[in-house]
Amino acid sequence: MRNRLKLTARTILVLIVMVSTTLLMPFSAQAAEEAEELTLDASGSAAALEGVSFAVDGFARNNKGTARAYAGEDIGYRYPLAGRGAFVVVALEDELLIYLPEETNASFGLDFSQDTAAQTQLLTLLFALDEANSNGGITLEQLDLPAVFTHSDTVAHRGCLIRFGVEVEPGYYYVTVTAEADALPAPDTARQASFVETGLLVPADTLTIQTAPEGLDALTDFLTNMDYRPFWVSLRTSLTAMIFVFVLGLAAARFSLKVSEHVKDVLDAVFTIPMVLPPTVIGFLLLVVFGNSTDFGRWLIDHGIELVFSWPAAVIAATVVAFPLLYRTARGAFEAQDANMLDAARTLGWGEGRIFFKLMLPLAWPSIAAGTVLAFARAMGEFGATLFVAGNYAGVTQTMPIAIYFQWMGGRSDVATFWVFVVILISFVVILFINLYARHTQKFRLGTTARKERSTGEEQEEEDVERESLERSVRDTGEERSGP
Amino acid sequence: MFHAKKEGRFSAGRFVALLLSVVLVASTGLGLAACGGSTPAPTSGTASSGSGSSGAATEPAAAVELQIFAANSLERALPEVQALYTAENPNVSFADSQFKGSGDLVTELEGGAPADILITASSATMDTAVENGNIDEATRSNMFQNDLIIVKQAGSSVTISSLSDVNGSAISKVAIGDADAVPAGSYANQSLFTIGLYSAESGKGGEYLEGFADKVVIQSSVGNVAKTVATGDAQIGFVYTSDLYRYDDIEQAFVVPADTHKNIVYPGAVVASSAHASEADRFLEFCLTNPDALRIWAQYGFEVAAS
Repeated sequence: MRNRLKLTARTILVLIVMVSTTLLMPFSAQAAEEAEELTLDASGSAAALEGVSFAVDGFARNNKGTARAYAGEDIGYRYPLAGRGAFVVVALEDELLIYLPEETNASFGLDFSQDTAAQTQLLTLLFALDEANSNGGITLEQLDLPAVFTHSDTVAHRGCLIRFGVEVEPGYYYVTVTAEADALPAPDTARQASFVETGLLVPADTLTIQTAPEGLDALTDFLTNMDYRPFWVSLRTSLTAMIFVFVLGLAAARFSLKVSEHVKDVLDAVFTIPMVLPPTVIGFLLLVVFGNSTDFGRWLIDHGIELVFSWPAAVIAATVVAFPLLYRTARGAFEAQDANMLDAARTLGWGEGRIFFKLMLPLAWPSIAAGTVLAFARAMGEFGATLFVAGNYAGVTQTMPIAIYFQWMGGRSDVATFWVFVVILISFVVILFINLYARHTQKFRLGTTARKERSTGEEQEEEDVERESLERSVRDTGEERSGP
Repeated sequence: MFHAKKEGRFSAGRFVALLLSVVLVASTGLGLAACGGSTPAPTSGTASSGSGSSGAATEPAAAVELQIFAANSLERALPEVQALYTAENPNVSFADSQFKGSGDLVTELEGGAPADILITASSATMDTAVENGNIDEATRSNMFQNDLIIVKQAGSSVTISSLSDVNGSAISKVAIGDADAVPAGSYANQSLFTIGLYSAESGKGGEYLEGFADKVVIQSSVGNVAKTVATGDAQIGFVYTSDLYRYDDIEQAFVVPADTHKNIVYPGAVVASSAHASEADRFLEFCLTNPDALRIWAQYGFEVAAS
């Protein structure tokens, strides 16, 4: 059996690696395509062309600017620049205005407004960087506008003055758009450019470009940058919840045996209902009980019990939804126990507590263990009620299921996929564990003698013997009764 | 049967031991993680060059954790600005900021969720929070402006050249935010009202035109709208320009004319019950004035409001 177990573990591992490499394939393929001549930095802010003396660093695409005054002074609509001597690409309605300061021209010994070869090289770099930074916005390539190169600091365009390299505050440079002699209202100056891009021209040999990692490196990169807190939150929440579930579930199961049939039916419905109700209903009720919106909730808050949107709320939510699973399996196992045997124990002078702990619990154990594991898995998978009362606070109440939802919604499908596989893996292991455990107990069911040899400890032995004789006597009486 | 169950107690012991060891390992791990997380920040009272007009950083800085409730569309940009602020003010850290539909945030605030700062995507939602008495109105200011656009899945052949194309025969599903909770949804409805596809001018509480109503997919946040379009479950959706820059797989199809809906402004304010009101106010000021923060907003397509 151990061999088979090892095999399963290896299969799972292989499966994970396979799935994750498939998932990350698109990234590496994309990177390989662009790696021919042009190298693009992983951050999308730097790029270089093979055999070209200049490269671009600190590239940024400003999709919007601001008309906000600086220190009370209106300086027009402005876009931040990459720094001193930065180049600027202004996507105007009818042209692509590209500004390179004279000092940059001089330092590379190039004249971008004349040298068409340098212009083409720069545009190649810009188009690639723009593509990497456009994120679904209109790209320079799609705009398909004639490029106009300039090195003058002020350019007039359709009633506007575009000023480059304006140092608004020490060390921070902007391109500003103002109306020429108040010819245009402010909103129109803002709409002159659809976006403005900026960056620094640097000598190619001083720039080190870190291309996006590929294949296994990408996977390692992804896994090292991963925020694993949802796993710990899930584990912490469900383990804490399990302590409550275990104690309350067993107590409820034991208690339900004592009461009369009719009370038991009602009680059972109450204990089981969280399993049937949608988690949102549970969440709603918990919010009503503990929230700020009801008198009772406010009374609790006034007395220092502030539970909503905190970790204890997540524990409560998990406890409530997981409780019925343990309760029902435990009750089922208790009910299946032979009442004669319990009576026999009583005739031997055993107290109720001793009967429960030394007889009922050990006998029902396989069922309870399975119920515990199932309840744990349910607590781990809790989503609706938790989201309702505990919210989505990373590192506090953000469990794996909640992380999946919010990461997906936030556009980080890769992270969501990771957690999906983790949850599937955990669930798989849980079910596998239950099956193996059941098989394990089954085996002893068939070979009790083998086990007896291994049992150690005098007290243990003594109790075993005692319980065994109890069982035997019950069985004998049973046989006597059923006899002719 | 009884023979079998006798084994129970031994397994029970082993099971409990296993469970306990797992708990122990987990709590140790968590303990370490917690220690790493809550290292008291060194309180160097250096006033950063960038704090601009926030000034007053002279008092000894005590460790402060700010909780921000912000419109869903700020989900990518705001954490970057927060990181910038923490780098310059090591005594200030941020709890996990909540990015949801503005309406939901206002409801949660009213429901007693603790927060220091609220940034919504419409004046109306902020007004509600003010009416609820959850906001320190003196600190309220307009922070950002945004544009409403129609997006399509990247590479989609759908073309939208005017607003009325939204109800064209090529379109079978249109994703729109739930107007009650998502300001982008009510802006979209206001625009749809101008072409007769929605019945209420305010963008709320109305009905979609029969025939068009079947095409509408209501979503609980503007992010979900974008996501629905990105996966192709809806051909087009109404989102903000800034949403383009936080989602892959969506493309701008059409800019909704600004005169068809109310001005899209993001008001920000300090929450009335905040225990760190002055720090919260300082952060809001930082967002609007720090030149490095301005860069982040510009890249994510948020236009910092003129005043």
